[in-house]
Amino acid sequence: MKVSFNELQGLSRKAFIAIGFDEGDANDAAEMVAWMEAHGLDGIAALRKGLDFLLNEDKSQPPRLIYQDADLCVVDAQHKTVLGHASLAIELGYAKCRARGLSVTKIRHCHNRMLIVGYLSRIARRNMSVTAFWRNSHEPLTEILVSFRSGEAEPEICMYGLPSTPDDTEPNNGITLVMVNHVDLLPDLKPEAPANDLILQNRAAMLDWQERSLVDGIDVDTELWERLKLLATKMLVETSDDSRQGAGAGTTDND
Amino acid sequence: MISATVTSTPDSLRPASEVMKLERLGSMFASRLSFVRSLMRKMISERWQIVNTVFDLDSEGHGLAIYRITTPANCYHCVVFSRNLTPEQRTDRVIAEAWDVTFAMLEGEVEDTLLEQMEANVPLQEAGRQHPRVLVLSRANRSLRNFSQFVDALAAGRQPDPAWLTAVGYLYRTTAVYGNGKFGIADFARLERNPDFNRPFAAQMLAVYVLRQFSIEQLNHLARVQSPQHAVPLHSELERYLGIGNSTGLGMAPFLINHPQLIQQWVYSRERALAYVRKEPATEQTRTRLRALMARALKHLQQSQTEDGEQSLRNQETARSIAESIDWLDRTPAHPELYEELIQWARSHCSLEAQELVNTLLIELYPDLVDSLDDEFGCRETMDLQPDMKARQLKNLIEEKFDWALSYREDSAADNYWFWYRSVEKEEPRLGVRGSESGAEKELSLAIGPRISLCYTRLTQFLEHNPNAMVVEFLLHHPGQKECVRRIQTMGETPYGEIRANLWHKDMKPMHLLRTKLSFFGASRFDPKSDRWVRITLFQGAPLPRELVHPKRSLEQLDDWGFPLEPELDDNRKVYGDAQ
Repeated sequence: MKVSFNELQGLSRKAFIAIGFDEGDANDAAEMVAWMEAHGLDGIAALRKGLDFLLNEDKSQPPRLIYQDADLCVVDAQHKTVLGHASLAIELGYAKCRARGLSVTKIRHCHNRMLIVGYLSRIARRNMSVTAFWRNSHEPLTEILVSFRSGEAEPEICMYGLPSTPDDTEPNNGITLVMVNHVDLLPDLKPEAPANDLILQNRAAMLDWQERSLVDGIDVDTELWERLKLLATKMLVETSDDSRQGAGAGTTDND
Repeated sequence: MISATVTSTPDSLRPASEVMKLERLGSMFASRLSFVRSLMRKMISERWQIVNTVFDLDSEGHGLAIYRITTPANCYHCVVFSRNLTPEQRTDRVIAEAWDVTFAMLEGEVEDTLLEQMEANVPLQEAGRQHPRVLVLSRANRSLRNFSQFVDALAAGRQPDPAWLTAVGYLYRTTAVYGNGKFGIADFARLERNPDFNRPFAAQMLAVYVLRQFSIEQLNHLARVQSPQHAVPLHSELERYLGIGNSTGLGMAPFLINHPQLIQQWVYSRERALAYVRKEPATEQTRTRLRALMARALKHLQQSQTEDGEQSLRNQETARSIAESIDWLDRTPAHPELYEELIQWARSHCSLEAQELVNTLLIELYPDLVDSLDDEFGCRETMDLQPDMKARQLKNLIEEKFDWALSYREDSAADNYWFWYRSVEKEEPRLGVRGSESGAEKELSLAIGPRISLCYTRLTQFLEHNPNAMVVEFLLHHPGQKECVRRIQTMGETPYGEIRANLWHKDMKPMHLLRTKLSFFGASRFDPKSDRWVRITLFQGAPLPRELVHPKRSLEQLDDWGFPLEPELDDNRKVYGDAQ
């Protein structure tokens, strides 16, 4: 089925609140999903994939700051989704970059990492260049590099498979963010760089996708949509005589 | 981005502590900057054409009508489905499931396949899925008080009594006018770059305006069907005096709270207009014009009818104050400081409503100064955190800009009396009494005042141990405060910021929220049905579509339709319709 951007964002937000997200996290998560989908980056698929996980995770545990100095911070997301817990780690990196010109933020143990791109666009529009790097540790081993130029809402994305599997002695479920204040950090593959299944996505393609989303609407799997609606319903109050009085209007039209 | 910052404000702006009080906002009137006025000016100056292309109604007025709207750059269509509505289906609540008419305005042409899709979905409203080329979706019911007697009068060859339109200013009343992506229709982001509809609610207002034209043409059709030999068309003065009704309730409240940047921009634009006018030296000519406007507004108020006792008293009080203001003006010759003196006099002698009415009329005097603000009512709504702000700076910001919120007491029953929630019935927003009604655990976070106060308490405690911390460090300790903090940081930079009220407080009046929004829309004839439900009229007095294309009057004359008065027809309303 086709839905509008506003519908997708609005329903996702209600569903996230029903799941137990704080209002700010629900707003951010909904914007991340809708932004990703409207830019052709499969936000809905990522949400579908992570929804069961989201329903069962403990929302009461905020991300834990493991280490910080003036321009470096390490945050443990405690095996939770980036939808609810990455934004403050990113904001910490942003604050450090504002003070020092460059910052490195490492978020350990997080899921749904691709969705972080939706929040990074907010950093870029605040005149900060930001690059995110992570590896998917499953076969085939892939590296993902997402880079926003300062002031631009869309990134350049580079994703490729590695020809060999290095020895990862511990689970690779983190993400590294580099923010800089005065220069751009854009992906520039080395000529001899590994290029298995190379996917490059540039700003123009994403803008085209966004335009199509606005004109034609956004395709959503009906089953997921119904599931989100059902979740959102949890925040609605059953009707009663008191409740009907609470609307303040009569029940008939005598106008 | 919000275009207003504290550094760019004119020095004569009224302070937020005065303007943003809910009671004052709830005393505002429609002005020349209201959205219906602004849209009409654009339509007049650009000579928009609104032409009926399909009028396939049966003897009951049921069927299909299509209107083509042509602007200098684009074309749109408004498709109206008129259906039979049984008495038991008739309700003016948003929870209704069937209506006399449903309609939608769309971009471009109405191809047969699209029309089929619309025919299957538009009448279902919220239960349907709408095409992404649809810009506005709405529905309306006939006014039982007016409709039949209007048809009967015209069928009998006489004009309806104008007093009927003074009592109820419309034949149709809408309940919800949906835009911005609802139920699959186009997002507002698509309209932002469209010069026809890039102002807030412009597309919705146009759809309502077209419905007004449909109501006139359906009325004439039904009169002709009833009595082909004797029927006369509605007199043009009555056509103009006919508006479109709207009944609305608490659904307006979430919008006002969830779009603070937009609301502040609306208030800021209106207040800038007033600030510009206050600097102007009054002349004899402008004084005379002001007096005439006051006299018209007074008569409009005296003609306004409502069954609501409180609103009735407010109208009487405002009328009394305006009559006294006219006396004051008669005693005071034109001089450069006249407007300032009048404003000060009104502050000392008039009700809030009358004070705001005087301001509205002052704005009316200077189109050249204020009309360019029409294009400044929109803004890009983005709230970003300033994570590197020092936490103590945030505390200072709250104390300086949000001191009004700090009077909230967590342990006060009165301060926590209401809670806001959405019902399973079409997600209609409602108010419940905390502690005695169920549902408080699902409440909407609309009460910004208490939230800021609670955030301040946590911040103060945090600072005791972390005096040099940044805001982001505070949030890592209190992640639940993220939304509140970025709202404080964002709105703290604007001239007017938040509506200053505790929406949980026992004495909070929801009607003020409704009226705040409705005044910016351009609503007149406030007719409350309860303390949280109101009927209003839009476009009463507005020029007709044919006047946009072949104007016999100037833009200035056509635009002068605020505070409409009951027309006086020749021959005691037995005049036949004039040349159409």
